[in-house]
Amino acid sequence: MSASWLSRTLIFAGLVACLGSHAQIAAAADSVAPLAKDTSSHPRGQLSPDLSAALDACRTYVVTQADEFVRRTRAFVDAVKTGRLAEAKSLYAYARQPYERIEPVAALFGDIVKRMDVRADEFELRERDPAFIGFHRLEMSLFAEGTTAGLAEIAERLASDSTELQQRILATPISPTRMVGGASALIESIAATKISGEEERYSRTDLWDFQGNIEGSKAIFVLLRPLLEQDQEFVARVDRNYRRVEDVLSRYRAAGDFAPYDRLTSRDRNALKGPITLLAEDLSTLRARLNLD
Amino acid sequence: MTNRSRHLPGQIKLSRRHVLGVLGATSFAGYAGADDRTPSAGSDGTLEAQPFFGLHQSGIVTAQPAAALYCAFDVLAERPIELERLLRIVTERLGFLTKGGEPPATNPQLPPRGSGILGPVVFPDNLTATLSVGASLFDYRFGLATRRPLHLGAMERFQNDALDPSRCHGDLMLQLCSNTAETNIHALRDVIKNTAGLAAVRWKIEGFLPPHIVKTMGADTVRNMLGFKDGTANLDARNAALMDRYVWVGPERGEPAWTVGGSYQVVRIIRTMVERWDRTPLAEQEAIIGRHKGSGAPLGQTHDREDPGYEADPDGQRISLAAHIRLANPRLPETRDNLILRRSYNYSQGISASGQLDMGLLFVCYQADLVAGFVTVQNRLSGEQLEEYIRPVGGGYFFALPGIPDAGRYLGQSLLEAV
Repeated sequence: MSASWLSRTLIFAGLVACLGSHAQIAAAADSVAPLAKDTSSHPRGQLSPDLSAALDACRTYVVTQADEFVRRTRAFVDAVKTGRLAEAKSLYAYARQPYERIEPVAALFGDIVKRMDVRADEFELRERDPAFIGFHRLEMSLFAEGTTAGLAEIAERLASDSTELQQRILATPISPTRMVGGASALIESIAATKISGEEERYSRTDLWDFQGNIEGSKAIFVLLRPLLEQDQEFVARVDRNYRRVEDVLSRYRAAGDFAPYDRLTSRDRNALKGPITLLAEDLSTLRARLNLD
Repeated sequence: MTNRSRHLPGQIKLSRRHVLGVLGATSFAGYAGADDRTPSAGSDGTLEAQPFFGLHQSGIVTAQPAAALYCAFDVLAERPIELERLLRIVTERLGFLTKGGEPPATNPQLPPRGSGILGPVVFPDNLTATLSVGASLFDYRFGLATRRPLHLGAMERFQNDALDPSRCHGDLMLQLCSNTAETNIHALRDVIKNTAGLAAVRWKIEGFLPPHIVKTMGADTVRNMLGFKDGTANLDARNAALMDRYVWVGPERGEPAWTVGGSYQVVRIIRTMVERWDRTPLAEQEAIIGRHKGSGAPLGQTHDREDPGYEADPDGQRISLAAHIRLANPRLPETRDNLILRRSYNYSQGISASGQLDMGLLFVCYQADLVAGFVTVQNRLSGEQLEEYIRPVGGGYFFALPGIPDAGRYLGQSLLEAV
């Protein structure tokens, strides 16, 4: 039974292709010590086989997105380095999206994330701080200044950081609480910084990130959903709120691209706040419903 | 209702807090008796006063009253003689405000001398005013560069910081603490009005503590915006020997002579992401902090003041090695030099661009050695799991000036006259 639901859900998430590398990943994971400053514990008891399989599938999802992130970032970086401004701009949000899907796992590697995804307002000197590098530094030049000049080094660093992130994800065990908690952590990220449109201030591509966070959250939820059969009301409510968010977002999407964030009406922003908050509240109970802690 | 104009400044009594402070200097034993901690019947605290003159400034080892205000200033004065004038004015005003009294009458055709928000007679209300200097005061303007305290620099960025330049640093920092927000605001407006042209407000933040906890005089511990008791294991500010070791700069430290009797002050505005925190499982909250949320006891213990017992838990089975309290103070012989005197408040001010609450901890600490104290502690905390829920957004490093003995001296005089 568990094998059949697992394959169904994997098909749903579009992940079948990467199952092959999974044993290898697990082997690598066993050999690495947990992160030094993480208090999350691995459950003392045995996980049920179903939960174990679902968590493996979540891990596969994360690894697949990390691979995709490296691939798209490479294409974006190449466009920047060869001075193809229009192409670089069109690839910017697309490259970030797989990363936005797995942000809570990436956050385990704070040193890399602080280079790749730091925003100018984390620095007192704002845009002038030499430590302001990564995606948003490139975003500033491409969209606000309209140039690729002088970006080669920052772009290459971004590409190598994306690869390092992928390697470290492969080599690190992710605790079940962290993995399941990712579903709500992604929603928290929307509630804290995406809903305000402060993330992509030069490109106005915030809705891409928004969509990425929602997809990543939902992917984890969908993989765990078969284990929540006794909570039909809960599952239906969560599904409904994902759908409400997707409905609003879909109105701003055309031909594979999202409208700039400033097109989002204040009415629609509020229409997103409701289901986002409800998702955050509901998904914060997911770990307990799975008896993980 | 009390008719405040009845009370003349000479009748203002020394507060219980001050009495306790003096007792604490000689008797090391725990807490004062319950009678000393209970406000006397009918007292509303408005006439209680803290000393303004002394070896050290008040407001550092003084028990914390319920309301605090921190205001950083840029000095507009351009010459040393103007800086001296500024400091003389500030000293005179703070001396008056902390003591209280009736301001001189003014011609009604002119604006009043003060804001009047405390009424016609100013009452002390336990006000302490503590003046500190920032690293920028030691730049080229006043010829003070060679007199800078050894460790005083601009506050650096730690890895989780998102420092907003409009809420950082300053030439001067004025800490005002009293029983009520109005008393602090009254003092601030008085200082601003009287220093026109010499100093400009750079940033300001206000903090609060629950009055019912404050009234227990340390018997109960305040909770922060995360809902956890914060400050349980703080240094006992009534223990003069501890303060001499950890808080006050003494002659043995190799600092410029003028600094003796002062203290390094750290102010940090630490926003807490409370909506997200409130959606975090209780067990995880407790694992991140290292304490039980209800009792405040270290995990696995019963009482909030119990020792966490790390030596019996070397692998962090009970209290994770990454728990906030364990990283902040590992209680090892080699970390004893890193102890600091914390004097934090809670704050709450408006909302973020996303519509989430902007509230958190107005973290303040004092230490004799900034690097051995706050900087070392903060470096140990860097990367802690709590960082997912907190964001330091402002603040600065300052040096709290030594106290002055009487009205014949002004705050900062030893600095300006040092050779």
